[in-house]
Amino acid sequence: MVRLITHNLLACHVKGCTSNNFPLEFKDAKLELREAEYNPEFIRGFLPKIEWKALVDTARQLGDTSLPLEQPEMLDDEFLKNLHHVLLEIHVEEGSMICPNCKHDYPISNGIPNMLLAEHEIG
Amino acid sequence: MHSYLFQFAQVHHEFRLPELSSVAELHGFSLSLPPQPEHRNPTRPFMVIGLEDEEHARILARRCILIKSVFVFYGQGFNYDELHAANRTLQGEWSRFTHDTSFRFLVTAYNHKIPQTRQREVIESFSYMGFLGKIDLKNPDIILTCFEEYDDCRGTTREKHEGDGHFREVFFGRLLEEGSARLLIAKFDVKKRNYYGNTSMESEISLLMANQTLAAPGKLLYDPFMGTGSMAYPTAHFGAMVFGSDIDGRQMRGKVPGVIRAATQYGVASRILGLSTFDVTRNPWRCGELFDAIVTDPPYGVRAGAKRLGRKKELTPTQRDLDDQPYIPPTRPYELSHLAADLVILARYLLKPGGRLVFFLPTVTEEYEEVDVSTMVCEGMDVIANSLQDFGSWGRRVSRFSFLHPLAN
Repeated sequence: MVRLITHNLLACHVKGCTSNNFPLEFKDAKLELREAEYNPEFIRGFLPKIEWKALVDTARQLGDTSLPLEQPEMLDDEFLKNLHHVLLEIHVEEGSMICPNCKHDYPISNGIPNMLLAEHEIG
Repeated sequence: MHSYLFQFAQVHHEFRLPELSSVAELHGFSLSLPPQPEHRNPTRPFMVIGLEDEEHARILARRCILIKSVFVFYGQGFNYDELHAANRTLQGEWSRFTHDTSFRFLVTAYNHKIPQTRQREVIESFSYMGFLGKIDLKNPDIILTCFEEYDDCRGTTREKHEGDGHFREVFFGRLLEEGSARLLIAKFDVKKRNYYGNTSMESEISLLMANQTLAAPGKLLYDPFMGTGSMAYPTAHFGAMVFGSDIDGRQMRGKVPGVIRAATQYGVASRILGLSTFDVTRNPWRCGELFDAIVTDPPYGVRAGAKRLGRKKELTPTQRDLDDQPYIPPTRPYELSHLAADLVILARYLLKPGGRLVFFLPTVTEEYEEVDVSTMVCEGMDVIANSLQDFGSWGRRVSRFSFLHPLAN
């Protein structure tokens, strides 16, 4: 259950990999949609932390086009519901996430991303 | 401002006040504790607390794990004369019940059993209140309770009813609400959980810690030593979203990860925001100021000690040539003192302003000094509570830090 909210917060952290290390690219992603309780307060509170472009690009790559390219100024209910769906209800169950810079492969199995680094990758 | 009489469970004394103040802070009201230190001594079972609104007392009764029941306070005294005098001055609180409210009158004691004859005498002594309503033991409209608090004399041999009447203090009030949060202890009982490990935190302590995080709907919490998820279930129960990570992915693996199975049992699976395997000292968080609280029971001890990435010693060339696919990153022990210090620094980075770090730390009781925790405090962080679960020669402390000022960068 790598939700897109989690994906939007994780960057590659290999030693020396400090630029162009976000967002990680999904590869062979197997999706699952699961309903989550809708809490507009939570979504609103989280909005400032989101990297908008990364979220929209990733959502589109996974086939969801409900979000506008530019983050709207007005937060109406429809927008918050779409955002809720993208952030919390799309789960990547299998596949992997690849760093666009160093190509490190973070595998996802049963919805749990393995972000552990090998010994030569830690500083 | 009205006064309410609180009856507390006589466990985890040091958690009582931090829990009360946390729940009050979460709901945005203040509580005023009694001025004399003797009356706010948390080892005593009763405390009279001033609150603005009756609803606040009910909120506390529904959320605080250590509250057994809450009463509208009518009086207290070191003897019955003082109690009755106090009760008379608060006549305005109870005069509306005198006409035709059905009632039940309970006389009971803490650390003692009052003989029936004297219970009757005590009830009779309240006759000046002039309650004319029906006495109803099954479904009364109101329950009036008189508590005598006796000193603990366990371990001594006594005659039956010896010391009767020689109480420390007596309290009187009308039952407002039974504490309902204590039922959660049984609900989250580790033995009935679908998934747990040998170091899973017991439910009462994890609930107490959850209350100190100010968990509520709309909040985002993080447990960097997730393990079997003991801290996640109670916080999620209170409405917060929880993210968990652990260096050891075994607890989270499986077709349906164990943590998710247990969360499903409690009906909070959708509030487990995500799980991930990584070493928190090498974490992949893109930015800071993400979480409202970090709550964790860090691993410690020889058997289940903490681990971090790295090798204990270098490999020999022959070992290096061995094919060890799939590659499993090596780990080395993680000293507890380093872990605790790192945790505070990590929290300063990852917490939102005003966020909280709540974690368990084992200490040797004899050697413990306040310094232990304060040495870990770094700029911007503040210790706001520090409660001991005493096991005799050693104990575990729940330390709660508050993140005060955001960092400049």
